[in-house]
Amino acid sequence: MRRDNDVLEGMYRLMSLTRALDRVVGAHDGHWHGLEGEEAVAAAVYYGLREGDTVAPHYRGAITAALAKGADLGRMMAGCLGKTDAYHLGRHRSDVCGPPEHGIIGLYGGSLGPPLGYACGAALSHVMDGDGDIALAVFGDGTSSRGDCHEAMNMAAIKALPVVFVCQNNQIAISTPAPDGNGGPIFERARGFGMPGARVDGNDVLKVRAAMDEAIARAREGGGPTLIEARTYRVAGHFVSDAEDYRDAAEIAAWRDRDPVARYRAFLIEEGVMDAAAMDALDAKLVAEVDAAFTAAQDGAVPDPGDLMPEDVFA
Amino acid sequence: MRMTFQQAVVAAIEDEMEADAGVFVMGQDIGRFGGPLRSNAGLFERFGAERVIDMPMSEGTMAGLAVGAALQGKRPVLDLMFGEFLALVMQQFLDAGAMHYYSGGAARVPFVLRVKYGIGPFHGHAYDHHSWLMGVPGVKIAAPSTPQDAYDTMRAAVRDDNPVLFLEHMALYHAGRAEVERRAPPLPLGPAVRAREGADVTVVASALMTKRALKAAETLDAEGIEAEVIDLRTIAPWDEEAVLASVHRTGRVLLLSEAISTGASINDVAATIAEKAFDALEAPVARLAPPPIPTPFARELERAYLPDETRIAAAARALARWTA
Ligand SMILES: Cc1ncc(C[n+]2csc(CCOP(=O)(O)OP(=O)(O)O)c2C)c(N)n1
Repeated sequence: MRRDNDVLEGMYRLMSLTRALDRVVGAHDGHWHGLEGEEAVAAAVYYGLREGDTVAPHYRGAITAALAKGADLGRMMAGCLGKTDAYHLGRHRSDVCGPPEHGIIGLYGGSLGPPLGYACGAALSHVMDGDGDIALAVFGDGTSSRGDCHEAMNMAAIKALPVVFVCQNNQIAISTPAPDGNGGPIFERARGFGMPGARVDGNDVLKVRAAMDEAIARAREGGGPTLIEARTYRVAGHFVSDAEDYRDAAEIAAWRDRDPVARYRAFLIEEGVMDAAAMDALDAKLVAEVDAAFTAAQDGAVPDPGDLMPEDVFA
Repeated sequence: MRMTFQQAVVAAIEDEMEADAGVFVMGQDIGRFGGPLRSNAGLFERFGAERVIDMPMSEGTMAGLAVGAALQGKRPVLDLMFGEFLALVMQQFLDAGAMHYYSGGAARVPFVLRVKYGIGPFHGHAYDHHSWLMGVPGVKIAAPSTPQDAYDTMRAAVRDDNPVLFLEHMALYHAGRAEVERRAPPLPLGPAVRAREGADVTVVASALMTKRALKAAETLDAEGIEAEVIDLRTIAPWDEEAVLASVHRTGRVLLLSEAISTGASINDVAATIAEKAFDALEAPVARLAPPPIPTPFARELERAYLPDETRIAAAARALARWTA
């Protein structure tokens, strides 16, 4: 396989950006859902999509998805703080809901699950338009227990929709370990629904990317949906202020040692794609960018209470 | 004992579990984790995994499980986490509401569905969807406003033979302690309480709106306007007698809601007052409710969205001064 350094560097950038978001937004917001340990999945899944592709991201990683699809960092940060400059104008939150104008389908209610159906609908529309665009439907192991998830996979398989289902399996849902949430391996469901399914090491960005490349190509060529289960681990708490008294500290430490970012860095260095200094510089630059965007957003204009207009809810 | 609203709810469930082996709790992350916002804290340690049952993220089927077990005579208390997830269990709740009637009286569904909701410190999952269930015959809706009331109402809800939606307001949840007497329920679901007596204007409220109405009443009191605050406690079926009696005393009534004005549960109260107490009215029935807009995120919009003490006082003041 031809090695494409742009892709390799692009994925590192997305990983590093994800980590920068964790650092900056996480320091400010106790309800921030961190991605530590899961960066490889976000980077591999959201990198390199076409402009016309539609993404229903998992909520944990939704900002990475939006930025990968071209959303503006400043407006996304404003959206975390309910500022006027946000895509949502302060009406909604950007940490779980990216801008539809960039092909993102976020959470519009609190419920996880329904976006999987919306992704299928977007895929149906792409088929109708014959544009070769696809839809990504990304969800956690917890969300995979929702009827929405089962129904969406069945629907996509029956209609041969160009959807790539990705289970970002971090092995826990709040405090519920995956074995208590799922009766069997998630990727094996694919067979029952009649689509290809595979489990990959979610801490290996290259493995996830390879699986994505195959699934995306199949979807674009009219070959229907695929289910990829990327097995990783939520090193972070459910959210920043999570007391985490329900998990074994040794287990967390063991997974922290399997840090996907460090692993990928070692690969890039060994292959001579990027050196440590270049990556450190990029890391620092991205932290500075996110920090500057967040600080600017903090000083941004707030919505006027008089803006609550019932006519605004209708198109 | 002094308790927060959250502690009072848990204490009530604990006492009912102690009193009746058929009572059990279920929901996501309610075991070792203790439930979101500590909503089940201590129950797992006390009763174990057999009666404190962790659930996967399958809300419709969770509610199905509760209904099925209730039909067998158990008394499940399901913590759905947040009111925003009500849509995911609507079919099961609709069915549950119809079961007693449609079965010719044979079926009973003693099922408590707990939801946290409301704009508050949590800053998320705030939507108040309870009004949807006003259209569901056979379902009761409880919305307590104080720790003692939370305790009493939860015990009454568990003992009730019908499906009950139990609303737990997140702005009340950890908002200070008050004395709670751990007693068998003095009242079943249904009766309202007069939280404050007054001769000039009636304010009908529940949950956080009761708290705000009581504060507004103090402001008005200093101006020489006596507001009577009726705390509904049970939103469905609501206490017609208590509300109408108060309207007869004051002739003026302000209805408060946290659910949007369109299709709000208070609209039913307004219609009933117009039908049955028309002669007693000295001013038009007034309502204060959020506009028909999804609960907004920005704090500034949130504040403007919900009726606050100032607007409640202003609306009650205008009513008290209203002349034809
Ligand atoms: C339908 C629904 N049920 C419950 C919740 C509450 N909730 C928020 S995050 C979460 C855990 C989700 O687990 P998973 O899908 O594995 O994602 P993770 O948090 O592990 O990334 C839950 C249960 C929700 N938002 N929606």
